[in-house]
Amino acid sequence: MTGIPDIAALRAKLSQGDGPRFWRSLDAVADSPEFRDFLAAEFPSAARLAAAPERRGFLKLMAASFALGGLTACGAGGGRDHEVPYVNQPERIVPGTDLSYASSALFDGFGNGVLVTTRNGRPLKIEGNPDHPWSRGGTDVLAQASVLGLYDPFRSQAVQQLGRPSSWAAFRSALQAQMPAWRAGGGEGLALLTGPVTSPTLAAQIARLRAAYPALRWHVGAGATRDGLYEGARRAYGRPLETIPAFDRARTIVSLDGDFLDLGPGQVGLSRRWIDARRAAYAEGRLLTLHAAAPTPTLTSAKADYGVVVPAGRLEDLARDLLGMAGGGAAPAGDDPVARWARDAGTALAAARGAGIVTAGLTASPDLHALVHRLNGAFGNTGATLKHVEPAAEQGASTLAALAEAMERGTVKALIVLGANPVYEAPGALDFAARMQRVPLKIHAGLYDDETGAHADWHLPIAHPLESWGDVRSLDGTVGLIQPTIAPLYNGRTLPQMLAFLAGGGDAEDAGALVKARWQGDGDDEAAFEARFSEALRRGFWADSARPFETVALTQDAAPSPVITAPAGGIEVLFRPDPTVWDGTHADLAWLQELPKPLTKVVWENVVAVSPRLAEREGIATGDVLRIEAEGRAVEGPAWILPGQADDAVTLTLGYGRDVPDHLSRGLGYDAGPLRPAGPSWQLSGARLMKTGRRSVPVTTQHLGTMEGQDLIRVQALAAAPVGDPKGGPSPASFYPPPGSQDRWVAAQWGMAIDLDACTGCNACVTACQAENNIPVVGREEVRLGRWMGWLRVDRYYAGGLDAPSTHFQPVPCMHCEQAPCELGCPVEATLHDSEGLNLQVYNRCVGTRTCQSYCPYKVRRFNYLDYTGGMTPVEQQQRNPEVTVRARGVMEKCTYCIQRITAARITSAKDAHAPIPDGAVETACQGACPTRAITFGNVADPESRVSAARRDPREYALLGHLNTRPRTTYLAGLAPPAEPGGREG
Amino acid sequence: MAQLFTPGADALYRLALMTGVACLVGLPVLAAGIVRSNYVTGVGVAPAQPLPFSHKHHAGELGVDCRYCHTTVEKEATAGIPPTHTCMTCHSQIWTGSDMLKPVRDSYAQDKPLEWKRLNKLPQYVYYNHSVHVTKGIGCSTCHGDVTSMQMTYRANAFEMQFCLDCHRAPEKYVRTPDQVWNMTWKPPADQASLGPKLVEQYHIRGGARLTECGICHR
Repeated sequence: MTGIPDIAALRAKLSQGDGPRFWRSLDAVADSPEFRDFLAAEFPSAARLAAAPERRGFLKLMAASFALGGLTACGAGGGRDHEVPYVNQPERIVPGTDLSYASSALFDGFGNGVLVTTRNGRPLKIEGNPDHPWSRGGTDVLAQASVLGLYDPFRSQAVQQLGRPSSWAAFRSALQAQMPAWRAGGGEGLALLTGPVTSPTLAAQIARLRAAYPALRWHVGAGATRDGLYEGARRAYGRPLETIPAFDRARTIVSLDGDFLDLGPGQVGLSRRWIDARRAAYAEGRLLTLHAAAPTPTLTSAKADYGVVVPAGRLEDLARDLLGMAGGGAAPAGDDPVARWARDAGTALAAARGAGIVTAGLTASPDLHALVHRLNGAFGNTGATLKHVEPAAEQGASTLAALAEAMERGTVKALIVLGANPVYEAPGALDFAARMQRVPLKIHAGLYDDETGAHADWHLPIAHPLESWGDVRSLDGTVGLIQPTIAPLYNGRTLPQMLAFLAGGGDAEDAGALVKARWQGDGDDEAAFEARFSEALRRGFWADSARPFETVALTQDAAPSPVITAPAGGIEVLFRPDPTVWDGTHADLAWLQELPKPLTKVVWENVVAVSPRLAEREGIATGDVLRIEAEGRAVEGPAWILPGQADDAVTLTLGYGRDVPDHLSRGLGYDAGPLRPAGPSWQLSGARLMKTGRRSVPVTTQHLGTMEGQDLIRVQALAAAPVGDPKGGPSPASFYPPPGSQDRWVAAQWGMAIDLDACTGCNACVTACQAENNIPVVGREEVRLGRWMGWLRVDRYYAGGLDAPSTHFQPVPCMHCEQAPCELGCPVEATLHDSEGLNLQVYNRCVGTRTCQSYCPYKVRRFNYLDYTGGMTPVEQQQRNPEVTVRARGVMEKCTYCIQRITAARITSAKDAHAPIPDGAVETACQGACPTRAITFGNVADPESRVSAARRDPREYALLGHLNTRPRTTYLAGLAPPAEPGGREG
Repeated sequence: MAQLFTPGADALYRLALMTGVACLVGLPVLAAGIVRSNYVTGVGVAPAQPLPFSHKHHAGELGVDCRYCHTTVEKEATAGIPPTHTCMTCHSQIWTGSDMLKPVRDSYAQDKPLEWKRLNKLPQYVYYNHSVHVTKGIGCSTCHGDVTSMQMTYRANAFEMQFCLDCHRAPEKYVRTPDQVWNMTWKPPADQASLGPKLVEQYHIRGGARLTECGICHR
């Protein structure tokens, strides 16, 4: 699995139909004896000991384990020896009982509605806010992990001056000494740098600050800005606009490097709108087709019904071809996949005039965005399926590049950075760190004392969003409110507090009052406003605050004339935000680091994605450290052969190569920043690619839990025979009562249905499960040994050829088999069934033989090889869910269907004379987090429940059902367009 | 050559053998005895508390209802330890100068909580819910003993798994009528054998098999 793969042979194998129909990796296709050994051993560390020459050693160890096994139970039961009641019981806080607050999660300055579950005054878990008009109840991985961020011991904890601990009072007097001079000069030489600002409070404060200091320059910078997108709209409509697709009115979607399903500020809301529309279409017997062209695979292109790999440089040509078709021009000829795709997409758009959507993503060039706007205009979609609103982010700020230039000129006398990290985030071409040294006074306020903090004179800790008052707009402009769920742990201040101070106020004004002041009109009646504000706070957002739809008209200047882009030669470098840590802002969160990247399943680092063809040509194996050079700068990182990557392109992701002493993120991956061009461009052509000769094999989870069997993934082509398990007919014998005849004492028969058509592979469920169930992080080396602990994994399968496969995601939690093989293996009955059909794992009985793990055909059991939960700092322990046991070393664990939530519902029902538990009263953590509602959970014995309805779908099938395990978790096959006669597949 | 072993050696050998056997049997028995002893389980031992609060005086002699202080016992998983404020509802009026109550007044004045030694503790992998037990006719004294007779409060039961299972296997032996739940001196009435099953039916208490499933208490 380490040598250079024989890609030609693999390609031949797949094209001749010799290989597996659905495959996870090149190694799996090659199916080498080496790979088979890896799977057979499953956990190589133990297998090595059992091998013949070391049999004695193995037996010795086993004997020692047997003799000392019980010692693991001898833990200090300390820390719970006192009962500490309140002095005055706060209203509504009941010890041991959840209390939820509506708030907003921040994503690069944009908001999504969340509910923060707190217990005993500690925020524990983030749930989506189902009432929020934009996000509608889902969450993304960053929102789920934000609760870990709150308790992150690496967070900045004190004011620092030149790296030495200082205080807010010292900072206040230092700044107040400067302020008269600033005021006299009208703010000449003063520069304010923030991330994207959507908060109306902040926007108003910045406006006031600019009024007070007319010469102050305001700049906005972030690792991944929406500048390109707004610039595209400016070219098409003359002003920056946000485009909101109305999927519910669409009959077809064409994505040109689109990202509406990918991690980003719009992911939650857009995924939900997309799946609602796709489900509605399926109910009518249609398919809301998605045509996607992408130079590097994304979650959006992975869900494409018609996908094609297009070099980034050709996307604009493709858009022009489609534009030609809109004007009645001829379809591109030829039989290459791109031309075929263009014909399909163009025909579909023409057929659905006024009901099509063409979309491009964050990383698309402004020209491509402009072309997409013109395409939508030409197909009559603008205003029908595509709504335009003013950008949620406040406009009128200057760019990071302008700031770098001003610093270079020496015109910046004082730089105030609020909540940004330009030294790390700025493209290498700006040389930000060096230029920043030319500024006499540098103030940095951030959640972390990061790279910028290290270059600043003053570092100030800001309050975490879960500790703050604030407001924020979602992509569509809906204003969400942020309310504190805990007092600031480290005396951090909110951004509005800091701006109020800069504008001449006190340095610790009431953060809540600052937000209220923004929303209270001059003539507002105090009591009426309080009532309105409380109601908005309760709901988490201001009702009907979305930006109004704008009427747009394309500017008259003709579509950008086709520039004949000479093939630049060399390698095309694509930059993308990382799918788990985004631009690096969240790189210190261990949950996100250990979260397998959706497509590569790599953890704890970023890789250089290369296409199989490039790997074949250059003799690159996965793990070879590559050097990419362009314009005199270079980046080095380990190669990853990524099916679906454009031939001569490499993809670099942001967010790694951080260098903050002592921080978790230090030394992980490589920093793509140095190679990034200045300006909004996300690509670079003409780069040189070299092998350094070194190797660094990325750690991946893609082979963990490899299952043996057929039909793991099923795809239902429209109008084809159902691929699901046959329904009706005599059902095989079961220990459980048939639906409708259940024992009155048993609350429910729990089951889950997962809709593979809806699963976008976004990983929100995995992080939610980790937050809810106290799942430990094990670290890179442990994952390499196969000890990743997640209870829920999302398997990624490819189908079709090596170069442009289709991609399928499959979340795999415990199946809760009615006839569970694991239960047969356990010598101490630590895993067994209850009468509600739950496959229980009893930690205090488990002696750690791991037999259950090897008996499990789904490979969903996880073993605590080491004491992963011990030695945690007290502040991190605050995040632990007290309703779930923190597992010790030496015990097996696995998905419990969130038994703590089931128990809560069961007890409520029991206290109410065993009233039936209403459908939907128990929502598992993964289900609650899912932006596309792919997971349904409930009582399978109740024919009226949603999960029963899902199980009646003809697409429903059991994973490895032929083993007669009778899993309670079943799947709904993904959808595909009707197979064409003479078939082109995937 | 003299004999290596004297005639008494056999006796010594037998003694050694018997001691060995006795240890083999005795040590586990001793160990089992120790772990079940009050010394280890803390049953009947009243630790020193920040102030000598007497349940006997308050709940027994004065007849203050359990729920006056343990307010959430009927609604939530935990019964609740009263905040200092609850003590002060009375003690701002009576015994206001008592030395014994100084820690309470200090706690209230300085906004510093009283730190009580915890008496009743379950392992971390056991989840207990007060409200469901109380609403289903399991009285306080079944687990906590006759608190109204305790001058200083101590742990009445060891809360080993056996203790829980006794009741989960046969709830009809312990279940009371709703008006008896708060009765600290409750003894099973003469007709418990016939009343118990009726109450179990009435309360909709699940059958014994269901209540002994692991997932009921462990998760």
